[in-house]
Amino acid sequence: MEALSGWGDDFFQGSVVVAQVFVASLILMVIFGLIGAAAKLSGNRLARTIAGAYTVVFRGTPEILVILLLYFGTALTLTAIAQLFNPEIRFIDVPPFWAGTFAIALIVGSYATETFRGAFLGVTPGSIEAAHALGMSNLQVFFYVRVPEMWRLALPAFGNHMLSLIKDTALISIIGLNETLFVAKQAIGATGQPFTMYIVVGLIYLGFSTIITLTVMGLERYGNRHLRQGT
Amino acid sequence: MSFDTALIVESLPKMLMGIGLTFQLLVLSAVFGLILATLLMLMRISGKWWLSWPAQVYIYVFRGTPILVQIFIVYYGFPQLEVIRESVLWPVFREPFGCAVFALSLNAGAYVSEILRGGVLGVDRGMLEAGEALGLSKTQRFVYLTTPIATRLALPAYGNDIISLLKSTALASTITLMEMTGIARTIVAQTYAPYEIFISLAIVYMVLTFLIQKLVARIERHLGRYTLKEG
Repeated sequence: MEALSGWGDDFFQGSVVVAQVFVASLILMVIFGLIGAAAKLSGNRLARTIAGAYTVVFRGTPEILVILLLYFGTALTLTAIAQLFNPEIRFIDVPPFWAGTFAIALIVGSYATETFRGAFLGVTPGSIEAAHALGMSNLQVFFYVRVPEMWRLALPAFGNHMLSLIKDTALISIIGLNETLFVAKQAIGATGQPFTMYIVVGLIYLGFSTIITLTVMGLERYGNRHLRQGT
Repeated sequence: MSFDTALIVESLPKMLMGIGLTFQLLVLSAVFGLILATLLMLMRISGKWWLSWPAQVYIYVFRGTPILVQIFIVYYGFPQLEVIRESVLWPVFREPFGCAVFALSLNAGAYVSEILRGGVLGVDRGMLEAGEALGLSKTQRFVYLTTPIATRLALPAYGNDIISLLKSTALASTITLMEMTGIARTIVAQTYAPYEIFISLAIVYMVLTFLIQKLVARIERHLGRYTLKEG
């Protein structure tokens, strides 16, 4: 344990990076999931086909492949584009933070697409009809009836998606993001104690997972509070 | 920048050389994982706190940490411990293959045990009461009633877990194993053609995912053949 002294603040920095990736990818994941669900539920056949392909591709490919492809692929494409304007540019580096964040958001977003789709289908048609009868516009129905009913249905699965996101952040260390696994690698180089360092990383992730699980439990209780009052 | 089809034709067979290793990792971890999962599930439903409590902690820890961290703890971390280096299992942990199978099995065990538990809890109570009324012992009821019905109920979720396991085998490339993803990463490092290599490998994984889905659906139809006749 004494090997850990001096590495505490590095691990803390790494945890901050994990939290940053998590928040950024969570926002993107919700956006991708909502667009995907909207496309799958829309009457437009092209939109349905594209959303269908999106979910098949990102649910059938290993996460690490998507991360590597996005990281090296965008670097290659950006370099090619930059060279059109300035042939002297040799290489453009893509920040691993954003390549990784986009990659895991796309992956988990494909799972969220199915969750949101199911939850929107689970909204009682009666509520929507009642809202229309009260003279609400489609936009009002969406924000005051569909979304409040749907997020409760989506919450349990959505909690699992958040856990997938936090665990997938570990994969971004492969493309060089300085998060906890990356810090551990440096600490091992200096101290020669791989077991201790990777256990610390495991405990950090366990802490994050616990916070997410407890938050989801709290939100579930909050979302269903009107159901318990009757009994 | 252009899409080099000749390179794909040339490297696809090279990547497919790794499919054997991918399959070995998949099958071995699936088998060991299922054995472990059955054990954990029996511990959890045993009703004895000193059995169910350790199982719950195990499941919580392994589902709350990234697989990559678990693989690193086994591969890089275990050699630090003298207990492991002097144990009979050292030949297993000295090789990256043994470490990958070990870590993937432990991980799969945690996830699959929850799936099995869902299946066992889903068995209709009336069926078990009928068995009791017919004079079947507790063990007989578990073997002849619960097991076959729970297997059928758990199968769809189990199929999804096998697909996750297939995707996780790609992580073995991070500990020097030359399965399909490992070979692809080597080729990309040599040719710097991430799009051609990674996309064609993604298609290979998608085909495998599709085949696993078809196989599981087939077993599902077989196990549920008597329920189909009623409908």
